[in-house]
Amino acid sequence: MKIAYSHIVKFIKEAPSIERLSESLFHLGHEHEVIDGVFDMEFTPNRGDCLSVNGLLRDLAVFFTVELNQEIYKKEINKLDIDFKNLSKNICPQVSFLRLEIESIPKKYSHYLENYFKELGVNKNNFFTDISNFLSYETGQPTHCYDAKKMNGELIFHETTHAVEFETLLNKKITLSKKNAVFSLNNDVINLAGVIGGKSTACDNNTKTVLVECAYFQPESIIGKSVNYDIQSDASHKFERGVDPDCQENVLRRFIQIVSEHTNIKDISLVSYKKNDLSKHKIPVDIKKINKIIGINISKEEYLDHLIKLGFCIKDDFIIVPSYRSDIKTHNDLAEEVARVIGYDNIDLVSISIPNKENINLMNIENKLRYFLLDHGFYEVINSPFVGSISKDAIKVDNPLDSNRQYLRTNITDSLLGNLLYNEKRQKDSVKFFEISDIYFSKKDSSISRNIAIIASGRLGLNYEDFSRKINKNYFEKIFKEILPNQTFDFNIISREELDTKINSEIISLEININSISSEILSYKELSTPPERFNQYSQISEHPSSFKDISYSIKDYGKTIELQELLLNYKNDIIQHVYIFDYYKNEKKKEIKIGFRFIFQAKKTTLTSLEIDEVYDEILKSSLKIKGVTIPGLL
Amino acid sequence: MSDPKDILPTLIKDRGSLHPINHMKDSIMNLLVSFGFEIIDGPEIETEEFNFDMLNIKKSHPARQMHDTFYVDGKSNLLRTHTSPVQIRGMLNRTPPLAFISGGKVYRKDDDATHLPMFHQVEGIYVDEDISFAQLKDLIYKIIFSIFGDHVKLRFRPSYFPFTEPSAEVDILSKEGKWLEILGCGIVNPIVLDNCEIDSKKYSGLAFGLGVERIAMLMHDVNDIRDFYKSNLDFLSQFK
Repeated sequence: MKIAYSHIVKFIKEAPSIERLSESLFHLGHEHEVIDGVFDMEFTPNRGDCLSVNGLLRDLAVFFTVELNQEIYKKEINKLDIDFKNLSKNICPQVSFLRLEIESIPKKYSHYLENYFKELGVNKNNFFTDISNFLSYETGQPTHCYDAKKMNGELIFHETTHAVEFETLLNKKITLSKKNAVFSLNNDVINLAGVIGGKSTACDNNTKTVLVECAYFQPESIIGKSVNYDIQSDASHKFERGVDPDCQENVLRRFIQIVSEHTNIKDISLVSYKKNDLSKHKIPVDIKKINKIIGINISKEEYLDHLIKLGFCIKDDFIIVPSYRSDIKTHNDLAEEVARVIGYDNIDLVSISIPNKENINLMNIENKLRYFLLDHGFYEVINSPFVGSISKDAIKVDNPLDSNRQYLRTNITDSLLGNLLYNEKRQKDSVKFFEISDIYFSKKDSSISRNIAIIASGRLGLNYEDFSRKINKNYFEKIFKEILPNQTFDFNIISREELDTKINSEIISLEININSISSEILSYKELSTPPERFNQYSQISEHPSSFKDISYSIKDYGKTIELQELLLNYKNDIIQHVYIFDYYKNEKKKEIKIGFRFIFQAKKTTLTSLEIDEVYDEILKSSLKIKGVTIPGLL
Repeated sequence: MSDPKDILPTLIKDRGSLHPINHMKDSIMNLLVSFGFEIIDGPEIETEEFNFDMLNIKKSHPARQMHDTFYVDGKSNLLRTHTSPVQIRGMLNRTPPLAFISGGKVYRKDDDATHLPMFHQVEGIYVDEDISFAQLKDLIYKIIFSIFGDHVKLRFRPSYFPFTEPSAEVDILSKEGKWLEILGCGIVNPIVLDNCEIDSKKYSGLAFGLGVERIAMLMHDVNDIRDFYKSNLDFLSQFK
């Protein structure tokens, strides 16, 4: 909600600067941005009472001398004779109606009214609607203006029980489905209560006689309506959060006052309907309790002084909660008020010590498995559980984001297969993934399973021992035998026939319930450790990579390490990865053959062969400076 | 000529990596275990009772609407929107003092550059006699200093959660001088304790919840939350 600094500060005696006011608002927990002298406020959902100039001033009164001196019409008013029935008093326990006739429509607005539209960039509508909008901004209480000449007949407030067509005053036609709180005139819906009025009875620029409705609606019956019908209105925002249930007649008297400051009033009449007289909520004064909740030690006087400044009354050792603070029910609520006034950051820390439980072993079967897989080059992934395909036993999401995400997956392997193909398309020739997740089924007897799934394909690894070896069932069986010698696993070969890929390496997978893993794994001594620090991530490239291999011949064996050190640490922006893919020692020829693979990839462009060749040539030159190192076949 | 035995090039076996979100979640949970918290788990498919009612989230609360929460099984169940129902399950049938944490996936009906329909939370609760907001602050300082280092500046802002009162959100000051929201916390609303059959006249509690992705993004300098879930090897291999 936008509230102009100038509209606030004129009611504060100390006239604080905009910076000082902003600081005070943050102190009280009211998030905002300041843009061109306007506070763009973001209130927590329990503070509907703050959604107005007056509401914000009531909170600021804890720091400043606030003088709320807006005039209201105080003279006696004739009782309005209106044919009205309230059939849903539980939803609308208070409603007042004002009928007002003016001599002429003013051509010019007084300074404060004009300023409201100017400062906030709000569009004008018609005289009565403009006052209604201003009043909502000033008091937080929305009102609705009907053209009184169009309001002949029986007016009923009720809840709809079947689908009804309704055209809003913004010309939007909607079908009200199921239960909606509405006002109907002669059985036609003329107002979606708390959200928006209808076109048929709306005021226009010629309206001289208005019927103003001012109500309190239970938030529960308004919430969700604006979203359901895609109508965002100031009224719904306020009614959803709750307005003051005890202000309706006063707001209408303020309406009359503003009209009277613009034109002559010919006739006024007003009527109020109340389900019951409001009883104000009371909480006994208990400073010990407040100090205990917050962990401070303030005096009773200081406590009550804070509350009085916030508009609470104290009577017979009870705190009387003002009608606009429907969020205050308990001592904990009052403690929050006090903490806000003191300032959360000004509350001193009190040391806490939680009694320690016996040592918890974090290396359980699941974690042992994870680290075992890390040791063998597997990467852990996390996939979304939402899938589009229908499978037996899949749980259906009632309100999916889209048709591709309308079921919960019944296995992890399909997700991993997608991950594998995605990386193969990104030219990865060795892919090893695993994921651990709960899987849910619609079956009644076994509805949840904590599974681990593993998938791998391509080269066994990117080093000279594993480069030429391909991942297959034997590889999986061998590594699992190391840790679980007495358990057999049914590794699966996934056929590539139906897959969108030209690669033909075998895809091996396994998916099992974690509980089926033998506790033998607990004796596994993992080599991997979690990173000691959280690495700074470097943006990955979306451009294709390419590689170049260089095979060296080394006669002076001692130069092998020197060459390795040079090339594995070779720095260049377009070198993404270097590894030794081949190593062979020919004892007869007393020669070592060693092959390095360089993966080239740029962050922001697709590399040209010229750009790659430039770096490649530099690598060759640098490496050939090492004596005894040659590249066979290089001219 | 050198001895041939000494010249074997280093065999670099590529180790894999934990997913950065799981690594961050594990780090936070391990830290909290060292503070004395016990780990408890709960299901991702929950009832409205545990996910909302027991936590004092009224039937009319916007979070319960179909546009915010994923419902399943003909609206009889839902995908948990936070890990708080695990704490409810933990509190039932136990007597204080109790201190436990739960971490895992949670679901909300969002999908844009900064929000995903699935993300991770770690939440903790400690219920004992005379737990105060000042003690909660002490714990939060300890947690944040342990994660971000004790040089970091933090602030507490009043906030609103139906299950805590008073409630706060905690921000840290970034290197760029911007306040960034890190966690939500508060004193457990006595209604929630009563719902779990814990005598709120005798006991009080503190609770906190952290968004794992948010912290991981800050710690690793990742700008787009969606990068975590593309399963891209170039991305994953940076978190070893």
